Amino acid sequence: MTEAFYITAEELAARGYEHLPTELDSGKHMIYSSPATLDFNSPGAKGFGVKRAGLVIPGSVMLLIAPGCCGRNTALLSDLGYDERFFYLLLDDTDIVTGRYVNKIPQACEELLAELDYTPSVIMLCCTCVDALLGTDMERVCRACFDRTGVKAAPAYMYALTREKKLPPMGLIRKSIYSLLEPQKRISNECNILGFFSALEDNNEIYSLLGSAGIKKIHEIGRCKTFEEYNELSRANFSIVLNSEARAAAQDMEQRLGIPFIELTRMYRLDKIQNQYRLLGQAIGAQLDDSEYYDKTKALIEDFKQKHGSLTFAVGESLNADSFELSLALTEYGFKVAEIYGTVGERNFVFVKKLAQLSPQTRIYSNLSPTMMNYVPAPEINAAIGADACYYHRDIAGVEFNGEAQPFGYRGVQILFEQLDKVLDEKGGQRA
Amino acid sequence: MKRLLKHISPLAPDDSGACSVLYEMGGITVICDAGGCAGNVCGFDEPRWFEKRSALFSAGLRDMDAILGRDDLLVKKLALICEQVDAKFTAIVGTPVPAVIATDLKALERMSEKKTSLPCIALKTDGTRLYDYGEEMAYYRLFEKFAADKLPVKKGKTGVIGATPLNTGYTDSKAIKAALSGSCDAVVCFGMDSGLDEVIKASECEKLLVIAPSGIKAAKLLNERFGTPFEVGYPCVEDIPDINGGRVLVIHQQFYANALRRKLRKQGCEVTAASFFTMLDEYKEPSDIHLADEDDLTELITGGSFDTVIADGRFERLLGGFEGRFIPLPHFAVSGKLL
Repeated sequence: MTEAFYITAEELAARGYEHLPTELDSGKHMIYSSPATLDFNSPGAKGFGVKRAGLVIPGSVMLLIAPGCCGRNTALLSDLGYDERFFYLLLDDTDIVTGRYVNKIPQACEELLAELDYTPSVIMLCCTCVDALLGTDMERVCRACFDRTGVKAAPAYMYALTREKKLPPMGLIRKSIYSLLEPQKRISNECNILGFFSALEDNNEIYSLLGSAGIKKIHEIGRCKTFEEYNELSRANFSIVLNSEARAAAQDMEQRLGIPFIELTRMYRLDKIQNQYRLLGQAIGAQLDDSEYYDKTKALIEDFKQKHGSLTFAVGESLNADSFELSLALTEYGFKVAEIYGTVGERNFVFVKKLAQLSPQTRIYSNLSPTMMNYVPAPEINAAIGADACYYHRDIAGVEFNGEAQPFGYRGVQILFEQLDKVLDEKGGQRA
Repeated sequence: MKRLLKHISPLAPDDSGACSVLYEMGGITVICDAGGCAGNVCGFDEPRWFEKRSALFSAGLRDMDAILGRDDLLVKKLALICEQVDAKFTAIVGTPVPAVIATDLKALERMSEKKTSLPCIALKTDGTRLYDYGEEMAYYRLFEKFAADKLPVKKGKTGVIGATPLNTGYTDSKAIKAALSGSCDAVVCFGMDSGLDEVIKASECEKLLVIAPSGIKAAKLLNERFGTPFEVGYPCVEDIPDINGGRVLVIHQQFYANALRRKLRKQGCEVTAASFFTMLDEYKEPSDIHLADEDDLTELITGGSFDTVIADGRFERLLGGFEGRFIPLPHFAVSGKLL
């Protein structure tokens, strides 16, 4: 049986992005749905997949139009209180060959509305690989549903087949959830934060920094409790995009609503965070004084290093960070990153190249490679970051760092080190 | 409207059933999908995923693979994985994607065998049917292909067909073996704590016990091929105390429901069995009913004057104004809850 495949950062950088080894190219091998990465691999399994994300609009319900297998794991969301918001139009074998079910969708919407004692803000029509292959015009279906019921409908494309396209399902769903916004008079001191389905962690410095620049109200879909609050997003003067998967949504809002956007990236290197805030200030015409947050975070990292010494990390990808950027940050802070379980893409290959210079022997694994069935934890690792890394290294200190309150900026770095400090205090920095 | 679920989420599908049978067989199982179906199987319908390793993978199909029908790529990936993982056979499990593009699974089976030199079974599931359909197909194909030789019968050895988490709510065979220990010298639960070797040696069994309808077709095959007798039953039903008489509706897989009925009759109950899954006529009583849709259960309750309903907790939402007693009895294929 083959050992789990890895390549060092140095070897990978030397090969270049165009020559990834087969094991790191998911199109060239079978996919292992490792227990470590289930929520990452399977849209809708846990966290915010297409199904749950589609219901982020307050007062919305979802009709999943699919063979039974596609909606099976929705029961996992029951504990989160979604039972009353999911409906299913199950397709049979004739349906998926002929597409005859498309004509039944408006009637299904009508019947599900009859079950409710309120009028939902929107019916999200969740479609799957079947419609991707049949080429169903979901925009037209949504219009037909609106004509029949008087309730707006919007598509939620759960197309696993297109996961590696330029506009993958998680990008499309972000576009869909903002698609109900209608133009209104914009207010100069309000802005949106786009990118996540849940809100930033409450104490994030970006709120204070924007406040100091005169922004009085910051809209985030994850904080909207009512449809009226959701509608307020279209009066923002500009949007800040914190996740590139929301770029298409922001572009659509710019075109339809006239709201321009600025794109920032979630990073964990202090100098990059500082630079990004400087650029944000320039873009909105204000000087953002982030020195207090910078100094505090820098001191926190120094204290952590003093206390816990030179740790060796394993960094996964089921977490609120880019695995490679976070690994680079840890390396720059003076820690060692022995292993990364991540998906190498064109966008993050730049971090691989930098890692190759600073930590050439860092081993890079792909969670999706079938050889990960045979993964054996390396003994030198004494702390893990990411739900997947914690799965692989169950007997050492680890933080999943994939909570719903989103980390960003200096506060994101602080949260990470605070969580690590706590778990290292509890479990120690040595392998059990 | 038929096939519109307003109160419950979908029940375990056929591809999950097929994978459940194959899980511990020691083969390489490939779900012919883009990733979502494999996620549903591994993340929800296969509780052993977190306890026992199995070479169960997604084909990782992308839109152009499907549109262009790149079967050769799938076989190439399968051959690659055969070099990385030790396996005795390969299996390809269908999903909606190959169903829509009309993949010739039989041809894939032949191509795979030629390329990998390992026996292959391709199962034409499509995610639109229920788990027992996929289980039935998987059991049948496994025994058809691998239980070829007639071996000397081992006295007292019983083979159990139907032992999957979806049917039983168990992730191992302890409870079933314990329940049968008084009546058999040796028990093998095919596919639960046992692999392909036991399937190959199936003819050693003195008798077979089929504990779910999905095992009947395979049992009949073994009966025809080797003369192995089979009986139907469920050896370890839960005790339901505090019921003395009255009209009871039991909803579960048919053989579990039948076994529970026998117990409840001794407690003076009049019992109707119902299931959303296969109800074989030869094991049905006249009042038993197959439920096709949510509305069927609601109507049954409305017109049935039952005093007690014993069913998976997920079905409680379908009981409307039922004023009797509801006793939850988990069925993994419904709620994903283990016993």
